[in-house]
Amino acid sequence: MRRSLKLYFTLISVQIRSQMEYRVSFFMDLLSTMLLNGSYFLALALILERFGNIAGWTLGDMAFIAGLSEMGFSIMDMLFSGFDPDSFSQNVRLGKFDQMLLRPVNISLQVFSSKFLIRRLGRFLEGAIIFGVGMGLAGIHWTLAKVLYLPIVLISIVAGMGALFVMGGTLIFWTVQPVEVVNIVTYGGNELMSYPMNIYPRWIQNVFTYLIPLVFLNYLPALYFLDKPGVLHFAPVFSFAAPFAAALMLFLAFRFWSFGLRHYQSTGT
Amino acid sequence: MRYLMQLIKNSFRMQFTYRTALFAGLLTNLFFGVLRAAVLIALYAGKSSVNGMSIEEAVTYVALSQGLIAFLSIFGYYDVMRSVYSGDIAGDLIRPAGLFFTWMGRDVGRSVVNLIMRGILLMVIFGFFFDLVLPTSGLQWLWVLISMILSWGISFCWRFLVNLFGFWTPDAVGIGRMMFAVSQLFCGFILPLRLLPVWFSRLAEFTPFPSMMNSTVEIFLGTMQGFQVLQAILIQMLWLAILYALCQLTLALGIRRLVIQGG
Repeated sequence: MRRSLKLYFTLISVQIRSQMEYRVSFFMDLLSTMLLNGSYFLALALILERFGNIAGWTLGDMAFIAGLSEMGFSIMDMLFSGFDPDSFSQNVRLGKFDQMLLRPVNISLQVFSSKFLIRRLGRFLEGAIIFGVGMGLAGIHWTLAKVLYLPIVLISIVAGMGALFVMGGTLIFWTVQPVEVVNIVTYGGNELMSYPMNIYPRWIQNVFTYLIPLVFLNYLPALYFLDKPGVLHFAPVFSFAAPFAAALMLFLAFRFWSFGLRHYQSTGT
Repeated sequence: MRYLMQLIKNSFRMQFTYRTALFAGLLTNLFFGVLRAAVLIALYAGKSSVNGMSIEEAVTYVALSQGLIAFLSIFGYYDVMRSVYSGDIAGDLIRPAGLFFTWMGRDVGRSVVNLIMRGILLMVIFGFFFDLVLPTSGLQWLWVLISMILSWGISFCWRFLVNLFGFWTPDAVGIGRMMFAVSQLFCGFILPLRLLPVWFSRLAEFTPFPSMMNSTVEIFLGTMQGFQVLQAILIQMLWLAILYALCQLTLALGIRRLVIQGG
């Protein structure tokens, strides 16, 4: 385990250093990523000037939930880039994945460390700024339990969304080409989690509760942090289900991954 | 002209070859459309009309803007700058139509295929989920068509202009991303301009971006009527002329700087 971690950090730091080589271009990328993703929340903030709230959620509440999901997604996007269907598909097609299989190192670890995009930090910063605004405006009554639970929720979002990347990547073993519909669940899921779940049609709520349990990762915990009564039929205790839902998703994702790995046939490149 | 038609025909065929990609794109646009419609419905919270826009009109606005994503390449377009970096532009420079029209020809086919497969089809499917508002007269349809062609022209000129940064800097993709983030917000794609604060839509009126999408959508919805329609279309024509002139001017300056590596 210690050896694996050391290897992971070595491989990642090589990538970070090479990406930092072009300083100006790096900061441009950082800035444009922040602006691009931030403009969506900016538009929401502008429209709330006219409407006041969305389903009882004020600008501060919205900043809290959107910032949290954005931070979680961007950290995930950095850590799990290797499983990202788009880049993993390229590795399979070019035969780089076959090279990895020949090395005497755990294959999942290699995929994990095969790609680390430091410019995604821009999205994290953007999420952190929005989250900071939320903390300032939402008037949260902080308790020790809330302070302790917050990082757990963030890690749960990272793990849960990462599970979706791993599953999307696993499909590549059969399809080789990325299955674009997976983007609906990953990027769409992130968008979905940036708003209170009760605004969506019932079928969307059901899909993201029973099939892909994203509702437990962000919306239900947010109810607890913001002391809001739940509108959907969930008992308050489900606000604490985030780590369990995330662990289950990640467990199933890696089971699926090893299943796919056993059935992998090279493309022959 | 015949040459341009051939370019358009080729790009049309090329686009139709990627049918699964078209289908996946359609599904993605649909899903995000449903999410965005839910947000607007929650914002309206039962109000029948806000600043002259009813909830049905707001939902139709979402459907239209999602349907226009691919037609207007709202998320960005980097083909021209890529050809500058790869050197492929050398081949295009000796074509008879000139660089601007060569790329325009290539983009027409792509846009029209996407308008049908990801625009009209999306509207039809969206109609099963939500009540949509349609133009009520033949004349209104005609105005929509004229305005849509103009908005495509404005969109193409804007995208081409952003791509010309490629002549001056080796990393224009970052600049492009920023520019397209700005145009997304100001053209009314993210949220309808009419629902944003007054000071913001006033600010937007100083830019070509409302003419790139918002005007066409509002003419379709009928939230712009009579004289306003005429005014909006005249403004569109004006912006098209200005942007076209800027494209040709910048192109002329840029080509003088261009050095193509032999190899």
